[in-house]
Amino acid sequence: MSHPTVAEKLGALKVTPITPHEQRCLALVSRGAYEIALQRTADILDEGYEIFMRSSRSSMGVAGDSIVAMFNAHGDLVNASAGTYLHAIIPPIVIKYILKKYRDNPGIDDGDIFYTNDALYGGIHNPDQVAIMPVFFRGELVAWTAALSHTTETGACEPGGMPLSATSRFEEGMNLPPMKIGRNFRINNDIIELFAAFGIRAEANVTVDLKARCTTADRVRLRLVEMCEREGADFVTGLFRRMLIEAESGARKRLSTWPDGVYRCVTFSDAAGLTRGLIRNCAMTVTKHGDRLTIDFTGTSPENLSSYNAHPQAVVGHLANYIYEYVFHDLPVSSATFAPLDFIFPEASCLSPTPRAATSNSVMICTGAMSAIANCISRARFPSEEWQQTTASMGNGGNAPVIAGTSQWNMSFADMIAYTINTEGQGARCTCDGMDAYGFPWCAFGRAPDVESMENEFPMIVPFSQHWPDSGGHGRFRGGCGTVQFWGAHHVPLVFFMSIADNSSIQTPQPLFGGYAPPTVPGLCIEDTKITTLLATLGDKTLDFHALVRGEFGVLTTEPFGRATRPIEGDKTIAVLMSTGGAGYGDPLDRDPLSVQKDLLAGLCSPWSAREIYKVAWDAGLARVDLAATDAMRAEARRARLARGRPYAEFEAEWLTRRPPADILGLYGAWPDGQPLAPAFRP
Amino acid sequence: MSERLKTAENLLLDLTAERWICERCEHDLGCARDNVKRGLLVAERDPREIHPPLIDGEFTFAPNPDWVRILEFYCPGCGTQIETEYLPPGHPITWTTQIDIDALKRRLASGELTIEHGHLKAGTP
Repeated sequence: MSHPTVAEKLGALKVTPITPHEQRCLALVSRGAYEIALQRTADILDEGYEIFMRSSRSSMGVAGDSIVAMFNAHGDLVNASAGTYLHAIIPPIVIKYILKKYRDNPGIDDGDIFYTNDALYGGIHNPDQVAIMPVFFRGELVAWTAALSHTTETGACEPGGMPLSATSRFEEGMNLPPMKIGRNFRINNDIIELFAAFGIRAEANVTVDLKARCTTADRVRLRLVEMCEREGADFVTGLFRRMLIEAESGARKRLSTWPDGVYRCVTFSDAAGLTRGLIRNCAMTVTKHGDRLTIDFTGTSPENLSSYNAHPQAVVGHLANYIYEYVFHDLPVSSATFAPLDFIFPEASCLSPTPRAATSNSVMICTGAMSAIANCISRARFPSEEWQQTTASMGNGGNAPVIAGTSQWNMSFADMIAYTINTEGQGARCTCDGMDAYGFPWCAFGRAPDVESMENEFPMIVPFSQHWPDSGGHGRFRGGCGTVQFWGAHHVPLVFFMSIADNSSIQTPQPLFGGYAPPTVPGLCIEDTKITTLLATLGDKTLDFHALVRGEFGVLTTEPFGRATRPIEGDKTIAVLMSTGGAGYGDPLDRDPLSVQKDLLAGLCSPWSAREIYKVAWDAGLARVDLAATDAMRAEARRARLARGRPYAEFEAEWLTRRPPADILGLYGAWPDGQPLAPAFRP
Repeated sequence: MSERLKTAENLLLDLTAERWICERCEHDLGCARDNVKRGLLVAERDPREIHPPLIDGEFTFAPNPDWVRILEFYCPGCGTQIETEYLPPGHPITWTTQIDIDALKRRLASGELTIEHGHLKAGTP
């Protein structure tokens, strides 16, 4: 077996021990020179990130769902500019594999370009692809560079690179193990043809994004060569090692201020691809001891015969999304910041499947890990002096719409509607609400494209886009609201559409400290309605979420948000899209009534929620809250809680006798511990 | 040195007595070496009471009660909602926060950590 084992992949995340040469090089890096050079690495990477976005073609690349990174000669990540932090976990595994396997054949030479997108070899999922270049200076390998991004087409059994119907890796299109795709600073033409062949549905996206990755990796390489010319290769070697030392020191110092203990969270989802069923998509136990964290996923549901599985390094990547955004936000994106973290993955689980598993929707099954890590770390961190940085989980819905077909420019396309996924609400913070339409939990710094840009790029019209009221989880501080849009095919007869999700019957994120989660997300369409006719006949009606759900624009059909590929005919169907809100924080009865009033006036909170959840007396005629009446309502609500609440032991004894209906437990594993009931067979 | 640590919104850990305490009403919520939820009142909510259906059909914006219930945990003294957890019916309730009391006491005694304004702060051992 050639592909790396789980142990080898997780081992590659650890920093390579310092060599005697690096020890000597450290002495060349004075404190002042270190500060200047550290900033220089960030500037180089920011330049690369900007070039990357401007050079990319697919919507995810243009939105900045990417990372640009530099590594020492061993392949340890020393700094990155992102984008999407999950990509940071991948290249060290790949570079160390290349160093181990390819040094003699095909060799590692100046001007080489390596490439991979195979999660079995260390990737996230095959739409996420990486170009890697060695950095040579005067014949010596001194560093590596990489550029990673998501391209929404891989030639799989469905368009968009994340096929819901794939049951094994053999249905997921292009999966390239680490391979040399270019020499002497040029991509081989036969490789470009290979990409074009797999990318027939969206050739421009696939081939241009390939070149964008290589261009970006080479620009960072060039800047590092210039740094070597100016400062000396030994200085750069010493700088990189000091960056690793400082990053690890900073990470350990931060963790050490939290109380030791064990922090747990379980999360669930409602589908694996097109198969519906309850999944414990993450059972997380975080043990914090001294300056170390051990993150154990024992109890997570078994692997399944869909693409909703994730190889362990992809799971770690999803933890990185939260950890770099909230915990190590002021430290370099570095292998060293993850040095104090260890991981335990149960074999044959959906977070550590067998090699034949489909994993192109790893990002969906990992919504549980993303949510649970926010919950566990917030519990560990709140007692510390960093308490103000604790948050409830993002919604982590990832309700991703994919469209494909032939555009109004007569070009084949397959892409994701990045506007929707880039406008999820943020999880509530412990001092204020989460931001509304904050962004994409996978890509904190991604840019939601303008709707007008989408309409120019794709054969669609999007006349309606607004905040989704009540979509943030309720609480003393509420989760940020997500958004709702609808669209129809325009300029063409039809557009193929599929959407990816697993939160229509049960939502994944757990709330924090007495708040509530966001609502579930149905898959909606308005049937027998042509969008241009709707707009022409709108009259005095306002395009509004409440009017939409009242059916004022046409009869709504409802199904799970995750849907297989189907045509959206321009004269028949309007598709509704939604991005989730964030989870809530704290007791809703502690919410400032004037904050509820503000939300009511902004249309972010419904009168029903104001009355039933927040127990706020809202006078719609006067457009203000009655504070005295609110106090009385809240006092009554607390009395009602005391009346209905039961002692824990009594409640638990009855509760544990129950179980969900058998027909939804087919994906769960044994009840309730999630152990595999049978091996997953794939031909 | 204060002996009380703020471990969650509305929840204190009294290190001297090793008890959980409601921050709002000072109600004793039980042994700090045990799951704080054991000292709270529990109520099961149909998720549709919190996330109401907005449309007809099977998928309505409301979680499906066959799949999930919301457990609310209240202080028995004042009714403050200290915790919530979304669980499938019958799924074991999670012990979410299990602080190592002995380790914390050792670190406080050594001066490695201090408690200021209810939160841990790095000290000078």
